Amino acid sequence: MNKTLRNPWTYVLFLLPLLLLYVMFFIYPMISAFTTGFMKWNGLTEPRFNGLTNFEHAFGDDKFWASVLNNGKFILFSVFVQVPVIIFFSLLISNVKKLKGLYKTAVFIPSVMSTAVIGILWSFIYEPDIGLFNLILTKLGLQPVMWLSDSHWAMFSILITNAWQWTGFYIVMVLAAILAIPKEIDEAAIVDGASAYTRATRITVPLIMPIISVVIMLSIAGAMKAADIIIVMTDGGPGGITDVMATYLIKYGITNAKYGYGNSIGVLIFVFSLILTALYQFLIARRVERVEY
Amino acid sequence: MTLRSVKKSIPHILLIGYLIATLYPFLFVLFSSIKSDNQAIASNPFGFPSSFHFENYYEAWVNAKISVYFLNSLYISTLCSIATIIFSSMGAFAITRMRYLKMSKGLYQFILIGLLIPGNALLLPIFIMLNKMEVFGQPILGTHMALILPYTAGAIPFTVIILSAFMRSIPGEIEEASVMDGLSAKGIFAKIILPITVPALVTVFIINFIGNWNEFILANFFISTDELRTLPVGMVGFRDIYNTNYAQMSAGIVFSILPVMIIYAVLQKQIIEGLTAGGVKG
Repeated sequence: MNKTLRNPWTYVLFLLPLLLLYVMFFIYPMISAFTTGFMKWNGLTEPRFNGLTNFEHAFGDDKFWASVLNNGKFILFSVFVQVPVIIFFSLLISNVKKLKGLYKTAVFIPSVMSTAVIGILWSFIYEPDIGLFNLILTKLGLQPVMWLSDSHWAMFSILITNAWQWTGFYIVMVLAAILAIPKEIDEAAIVDGASAYTRATRITVPLIMPIISVVIMLSIAGAMKAADIIIVMTDGGPGGITDVMATYLIKYGITNAKYGYGNSIGVLIFVFSLILTALYQFLIARRVERVEY
Repeated sequence: MTLRSVKKSIPHILLIGYLIATLYPFLFVLFSSIKSDNQAIASNPFGFPSSFHFENYYEAWVNAKISVYFLNSLYISTLCSIATIIFSSMGAFAITRMRYLKMSKGLYQFILIGLLIPGNALLLPIFIMLNKMEVFGQPILGTHMALILPYTAGAIPFTVIILSAFMRSIPGEIEEASVMDGLSAKGIFAKIILPITVPALVTVFIINFIGNWNEFILANFFISTDELRTLPVGMVGFRDIYNTNYAQMSAGIVFSILPVMIIYAVLQKQIIEGLTAGGVKG
């Protein structure tokens, strides 16, 4: 083609605002986190290089490990509780003839809502005196539970709310994959006399493994990102028991202005996410073959 | 009922149960928002309201300053979503249609890296950067600019991917013909490519708008003046101060989910396709 679309100045002009914002809010902060993570800095005095001290501090800090463990709980809950539920309900919706559209539209609604507002809404449901759950418990003659302030229940309550918000999002993804499978495959199995259970476990689920793999990957990424729901529902309480890495970073980095230490936590979030992604790709994603029908 | 029909109705019973679990909390808030006062909520928390009290909405909107938060959210979400689209569509045009030397492919991948960087890791550096940046001697941190800049930038990788994919599918003959007709690169962008890209632009606008409308972490820590707060942060503050006034709080929640509900009701197909394509959260 001619010169009009090969003019370097026009090219630069079109890209400049985009690249400027991108470098300013992605690349520069990333580099900045990696450099100041190795410094002692409270924002007032000059930053001072102090090697691995921040990281040693983090690794020796029980509260930091508790927050890492909570990210782990998020991941385990997503993978071993949420994913089976997602698959189960996706199979159910794909098999019903009536109301399919309604189910698909309705289950997605919580995932377009603000996590903060959903946190407030669920705080009502967990409310000790007039909340739904305790009302049911007392009706059944059981002891009410202080859902969000009892150290045994607080994390579990958050996980339930998080699952409530995002399960429908993934159901819609998995459902799309199920509905894309050619009907002939299922029909052939029916002719062969396979039961609904056999068809689901032997045909449908193996065929949608690639999308299930994507769902697992996305929920791991989501588990590493979770922070707003915790800040709104418990703010890390009681006594830091529901902190995740991100809320721990905010407590040290922003609230207490320990910029150097906070950034070293940021670096660790980055490194842990990277390790998880790499492990996942290596252990699971590679084994999931894409199926062509 | 025969055993067979019982068996057939089990999936529906389970699905309706799931549907109730999903929708009931919204219904609960809607009911609570029109109940008389907290005694009514305390004595009849989960039933249908016995009388209608729409003044809760007025109280929340005016006295609890939901109107201020609402307008802040509307202004910031709209502005940032438009800005993201303008910059991303220009960039996507250069990357997909201009193909300058071999740089385009590298640039595209450079922007893709943004999707792999966990946002939480960048929180503190951005906080410090905005605290140092000044406009007329005032630090940006604490002003609306502290949200507008990162919101606009934060949506760039996702938006560039969607728009690039769309623009790549436009046949190349269109440019050839346009160049013959004497259009400049800017003309091709504004008069040919952008109009064709409108469906994708609408999708990314809605998704970015919803994302910005719902954002909480930056809005909570980068803004400290009550008058400048966005709706999710304002709602949390409202709860922390008036945590006994459930009726008004419910009315506030309705205000904060209403715009997204309406957008979703009208455009659910684009939203689902766009969100699942981008895989924003989970």
